[in-house]
Amino acid sequence: MIPGLSGDFVTQVFLLVAAGFMLLAVAMFYRAIVGPTTQDRVLAVNVLGTNTVIVLALLAVGLGEQSLVDIALVYALLNFLMAVAISKFTVERGDVL
Amino acid sequence: MIETVRTGGIVLLVLAGLFFTLVSTTGVLRLPDVYSRAHTASQADTLGAGLTLAGVALALGWGTTTVKTVLLLVFVFATNPTAAHAISRAAHEEGIEPWTADDDRTDEELYEAARARVPDGGQSGGNTTTADEPGEQEETG
Amino acid sequence: MSDNRLLVPVSDTETLRQTVEYAVQTAVGTEADTPATVRFVYLNPARANQRAEATRRTAEKLLDRVAVWAREDAGERELVVETIHLGADRYIFSPADVANALVTEARGQNRRRVVLDPEYDPGIGAMLVQPLEGKLAGVEGIGVETAPVERQTRRTPVFELTTLGEIGTLFGISFVFYQVLAGNVTWLAANPVEWADKIYWLDIVTGTISATVAAVALSQVTLSTAPTRRSVGRVLRGLVYLPYLLVEIVKTNILVAAVILNPQIPVEPRLTRVRPALWGGLPMAVLANSITLTPGTLSVRITGRSLLVHTLVPRAREGLVDGGLERAVRFVFYGRGAMRMPSLRERGEADPVPADHVRPVDEQSGDDGNGTDTAGSNDTDGGEGR
Repeated sequence: MIPGLSGDFVTQVFLLVAAGFMLLAVAMFYRAIVGPTTQDRVLAVNVLGTNTVIVLALLAVGLGEQSLVDIALVYALLNFLMAVAISKFTVERGDVL
Repeated sequence: MIETVRTGGIVLLVLAGLFFTLVSTTGVLRLPDVYSRAHTASQADTLGAGLTLAGVALALGWGTTTVKTVLLLVFVFATNPTAAHAISRAAHEEGIEPWTADDDRTDEELYEAARARVPDGGQSGGNTTTADEPGEQEETG
Repeated sequence: MSDNRLLVPVSDTETLRQTVEYAVQTAVGTEADTPATVRFVYLNPARANQRAEATRRTAEKLLDRVAVWAREDAGERELVVETIHLGADRYIFSPADVANALVTEARGQNRRRVVLDPEYDPGIGAMLVQPLEGKLAGVEGIGVETAPVERQTRRTPVFELTTLGEIGTLFGISFVFYQVLAGNVTWLAANPVEWADKIYWLDIVTGTISATVAAVALSQVTLSTAPTRRSVGRVLRGLVYLPYLLVEIVKTNILVAAVILNPQIPVEPRLTRVRPALWGGLPMAVLANSITLTPGTLSVRITGRSLLVHTLVPRAREGLVDGGLERAVRFVFYGRGAMRMPSLRERGEADPVPADHVRPVDEQSGDDGNGTDTAGSNDTDGGEGR
């Protein structure tokens, strides 16, 4: 478990906040589905990804599973690559960055 | 005593993070066009992520995981605006007009307008790219 | 292939001699009504002005040499040799900028064939010929060909002395990063005394291997020059800049949050073009990223030194043209003295751009790019002017 943490309170808060982030992520699906532009969808998925990263970090504390932070790190990298790659792909042979 | 302050700080940071992410989500759902949404998606979200991760780092105390969380924070700060820039630039290259206050079109119509302008139905932004770049070059001279 | 008037961008490469020969042979060997002409273009990379005189002399020397070679190759045959040094008045950062400059020059001189030196490098610090060729090939009315030259050896061996500094720096960063992720750094900080017998040697060995691979593979991509004493100052000033940026982010975030949560969403999005007094890719990237990080402003596009910014609310717009961020980035890169300068608005380097400037794809193509600018300054909004 996490050393020096005062009781279950913080753990509970973290789990609740993680649930809140999940709800926001679900709301973000609306934009990902409706669009209308490809960029809107990429944007929504990017925000979803950032939410996932935060949820992973929160769960790392909430569940006392510190290795989740490593997963979050990798996920953040992939999320960024995804956004840039799709942006680049949609404009084709343009240099997006 | 110090533990209470720390617990309070953690809870406050995490809740503030949740609040800013709520703002960002609201913005992405409510704002009129892709550019405005890119604003809030990258920014409120960056602060949301930043505060929450700061809370996580504080909760973890000194250790390797905390250092990783801080790295994650730095990483989110560096990449989120870059991704937002890439996305909005892609939208610009596809010729999507930004919505303005005196424009009564919806985002859908702006998108249709952009697609209609490209001869092949908006499947590639290539034409737009090569066509408008010489123009912009003139301005920088 | 009946066009015998060529445009050849030149830079100081080992294959330049062969490229010149190829271009000259192509020009004089093509049957056409017009006199065979080769126009050699030297493009200046985006560098600060202090070295303008030196680069001008280098350019002229190179162009003189090229002209002599060209006449030599033409021999008895008729050939018009032209040379031009471009770029003293413009900023060239990316392959796209180079392509634009060449397209403008080609159109202005009515050239439809461009011959590329396969090692052409105008000094923007990036591998160039392939993206450049792609860009040029996409432009209507311009044919592009690469001179078939024979390369003796690879021009830059992997370990060249000048790149050792870059590789070393990158190795150091990668190694420390690896050890941080492995948890050794925090462990060392906690147990500074007993490290010698407790340290996990596997991490040291694997870290060295990974860092070497990363440094060798990426040194050319990551750093354009080896770090100097100046870079240390920049990093330190960057550390001062971060808290400032953070405060800006929080302040404007609250502003934008109020706008979004307001039931009416009182947004007034506009596009603004600003030309900050920053030179080079890195300062521009830092500024563009900071602008995007600050809520209410989003950098949409960077073309050379001009930055197209989408702003959400008038307050954010004012903040942008007041140039606080620009000044801060100047502080990071050029030191304290560079901060004292008038704002973007006072210098007249910020113009509103009409939202529909993206619309006329067909009208905007070609050489009439000025249309955008004129339309921009006539915009009735005036929000930026105040």
